[in-house]
Amino acid sequence: MPAIITFFQWCDNTMLARAIRNSRLAFPIIENFHLFALTVLLGSLVVLALRQFGLVYKAQPISEVAGALRPWNRGSLAVMLASGILLFLSEAMKCYANTPFRVKMFFLFFALLFQFTIYNRMVKNEGASAPVSGKIAAAVALCLWFGVGLAGRAIGFLG
Amino acid sequence: MSMLSMCRWLQDTHIGTSIHESIWVFPIIETIHVLALSISVGLLLVSDLRLMGYIMVRRPVSEVYEQIKPWMFIGFAIMVVTGILLFWCQAVKAYTSIFFRVKVVLLLLAAINAVAFERGIYRQVEKWDNSLVPPLEARLAGWLSLIFWIAIITCGRTMAYTL
Repeated sequence: MPAIITFFQWCDNTMLARAIRNSRLAFPIIENFHLFALTVLLGSLVVLALRQFGLVYKAQPISEVAGALRPWNRGSLAVMLASGILLFLSEAMKCYANTPFRVKMFFLFFALLFQFTIYNRMVKNEGASAPVSGKIAAAVALCLWFGVGLAGRAIGFLG
Repeated sequence: MSMLSMCRWLQDTHIGTSIHESIWVFPIIETIHVLALSISVGLLLVSDLRLMGYIMVRRPVSEVYEQIKPWMFIGFAIMVVTGILLFWCQAVKAYTSIFFRVKVVLLLLAAINAVAFERGIYRQVEKWDNSLVPPLEARLAGWLSLIFWIAIITCGRTMAYTL
């Protein structure tokens, strides 16, 4: 698919990409922020899943726990995507040929799709306990997001 | 035996060389170490934020903290085990890395902060359990914990670039 490789080449050649590559500190600093955001994003998902499994915070309705975590979940997701795009730009051509990167994008697409079409809506309507479908949704969300993290870590190892 | 020769001995043990020479074992352990951040520091963050008065402020501090504690400890247990294994197979390089040394000091400081909090203001938690914004000493413990862990993650990540 020539259109896609052209896009990757364009990314690789942007001013931002070159600026990051030319700096010794930019990449590690951006990656650190990517890692902080990972901690918060996955952490918020783990807490919500624990609540849906009925293991913590049973005195609070599920929708309330989800509401308390939402700004942290959204905020970390924004940092994750922004830092991720910068990291990608700086090594777009490396990512193009990298299988874990493709796997990561696959997981990311479905993780975002699942969260914003199904999962967020489900937890808004869950009260004292989650139905079986809610617990399954929590497990699916965890698997998808940890899949993103796993494949992401593999980009560095199998690059 | 000096620290350095102890590190060399550790690294040259069967387990040390096995992890180091395996194609898959090292990346798998490191990936678990990174992803378990979410269960350890990710959960700790929720209780730190409650101490600062930024999350679940209508719920008692002790409830937010105690209920998540066992899961947080599971997260930290995974961190410690994988962390020891990672150190084991590259002990000499780690020992000579300034980032590793700073990380160890910061881990100690984070532990001291946690113990000081538990033994200090948290002993009288019933007096401020329902306050939306806990007293200064508790807020400070939350902030210090957050700052230490950001620094620990930074040292850990930076150390991996330089090893």
